[in-house]
Amino acid sequence: MSTEDGGSGRDVRGGGRLGALYEAVISKLGSRRVRFTAMQARVGVLVLLAAFFTFRSEYFFTSTNLVNVLVNGAVIGIIGSAMTLLLVARQVDVSVGSAIGFAGAVFAVVARDYGLFWGVVGAVAAAMAIAAINAVAILRFRVNSILTTLATLVAFRGASKLVMDGRAVRVEGFRFLGRTRFEVLGVEIPVAVLVLLLVVAFFYILMRLTKYGQHMYAIGANPQAARLAGIPLERQVGIAFVLTGITVAVAALIVVSQVGAVSPTTGERMEFLALTGVIVGGASLYGGRGSVIGTLVAILILAVLDNGLVLLQVQSFWQEVMRGVLLLGAVVFDQLGRRESEVRMEV
Amino acid sequence: MTRPVRAGAPLLEIRGLSKHYGTIRALDDVSFHLGRDEVVGLLGDNGAGKSTLVKCLAGAVIPTAGEVYLHGEQKVFSTPAEARREGIETVYQQLALVDIFDIAANFYLGREMTRTGWRGRFGMLDRRSMKKRARAAVELLPARFPNLDALIETMSGGQRQVVAISRAGFWGGRLLLLDEPTAALGVKEAAAVLEMIGAMVSAAETDMAMIVISHNMDHVWSICTRLLILRQGRLVADLLKSETSRQEVVAHITGAFD
Repeated sequence: MSTEDGGSGRDVRGGGRLGALYEAVISKLGSRRVRFTAMQARVGVLVLLAAFFTFRSEYFFTSTNLVNVLVNGAVIGIIGSAMTLLLVARQVDVSVGSAIGFAGAVFAVVARDYGLFWGVVGAVAAAMAIAAINAVAILRFRVNSILTTLATLVAFRGASKLVMDGRAVRVEGFRFLGRTRFEVLGVEIPVAVLVLLLVVAFFYILMRLTKYGQHMYAIGANPQAARLAGIPLERQVGIAFVLTGITVAVAALIVVSQVGAVSPTTGERMEFLALTGVIVGGASLYGGRGSVIGTLVAILILAVLDNGLVLLQVQSFWQEVMRGVLLLGAVVFDQLGRRESEVRMEV
Repeated sequence: MTRPVRAGAPLLEIRGLSKHYGTIRALDDVSFHLGRDEVVGLLGDNGAGKSTLVKCLAGAVIPTAGEVYLHGEQKVFSTPAEARREGIETVYQQLALVDIFDIAANFYLGREMTRTGWRGRFGMLDRRSMKKRARAAVELLPARFPNLDALIETMSGGQRQVVAISRAGFWGGRLLLLDEPTAALGVKEAAAVLEMIGAMVSAAETDMAMIVISHNMDHVWSICTRLLILRQGRLVADLLKSETSRQEVVAHITGAFD
């Protein structure tokens, strides 16, 4: 018993004129058609950028500078990991920037009056409170996650200014997360980078190897099917918001420790930097796609780009332009590459 | 009012099942029973209540009134998982497959196997065992999947429907509910899917009753032995295929006897 595929003669690759352009670009890359995955493309871009900056600046490929690149990417990478999990399940949290500011403000004020330990407790509680508000509005009252977290983004930026009375607050004696370095193979690795690697490893295992991760991909790809299959959708997505809250608390402590102070603008625009990294890393706002490794590579691309443009003394406005170009390029590439698979089966 | 389990009790018995949405009676006082090995076609016009009836049995819709008995024992399903635990497997009209997963992952959707030992305690997946068991099960099926690792998104509508039905068969329930298994399929694909259902029915070792919803008379006629006809939420006819004709069935569906 055997039937033809679908009976429709449509081009599986699709994409019309842009698809043809994509084909042309791909076929130019070699005499036979070269196929590469989005992941290979991301790594390729990272390597090419690094090679370019190494060639143009003698300072780029030094251990000090490469460690700098990692440090600059660490905080965004930590919240980006949790955001990747959210996007996989067709959710998003754009409130993380304000959440970092709020958790940082609570930390600074409480630490000043009651000591570092209670400051850390306060920061975690503040981050979890925001996560809880987001989760309840989205899962219980069924408000769209973009709208919910946009509201908390605005509200908690104001709340953090209230907590610190609109003025920057200095934090004394909290160096560990932001300014301590460990020597590994002769290179001084900052604690923040080690935390980043731990967080990425945690989310990688969670998403790729566990039942929970499998459920999150199913929820994002087909929520109805997931529900009919008995997957506890609200519970699983709720856990992702809690994990986001934990990464926000960690990120806030690192930022505060690095800077040694909290200001009314701490954490600002971090949600956009993280979201850019997650999208360039291959996740889709439509759910079911994305990986933390992709996010990590994308955030390294963005960090290398920022760092390299500074070293080449390019006007800093170009960094923002380049980030936007990269984001748009990633989205277009994704849209074209999406129709790549053409496996046939017999019924 | 629960009744004791009787040896001779029918596999499924429904009494006075109703589902009202406000003043609309999607399902109105429906009663029938179903023996083991029976393949029943559930026919009716659009909005006759076919999908509502099946969803009540599958735990996806909670009935307003009425009782459901399995082997004489009363059951109340408030979630699809509860119905499945009692051996009721459902293939929905809108495909309940995850496109980005392969066949094995879809078979085990929501019922994933975890590894033994400490890894299992952390919810680590046992993909290899799932794949192995899915492969063994698929090999017993009349359908051929040359590439078991292919993702659902690369398959045609007919192939997807075969995967969905295979999944229901894989879990080997007591009662299989098929909601429009051939809707949205081309002629050849529908034929392949029907052949697949037919093979599952005739397979000697399956001891499973089936309710097939369709508004396509030909499809129902080719695989069912008995026909239930719903009209405006009410059960208007319960006929054996051997004792009726297509004309009579069509007359019941359209309400010519009203």
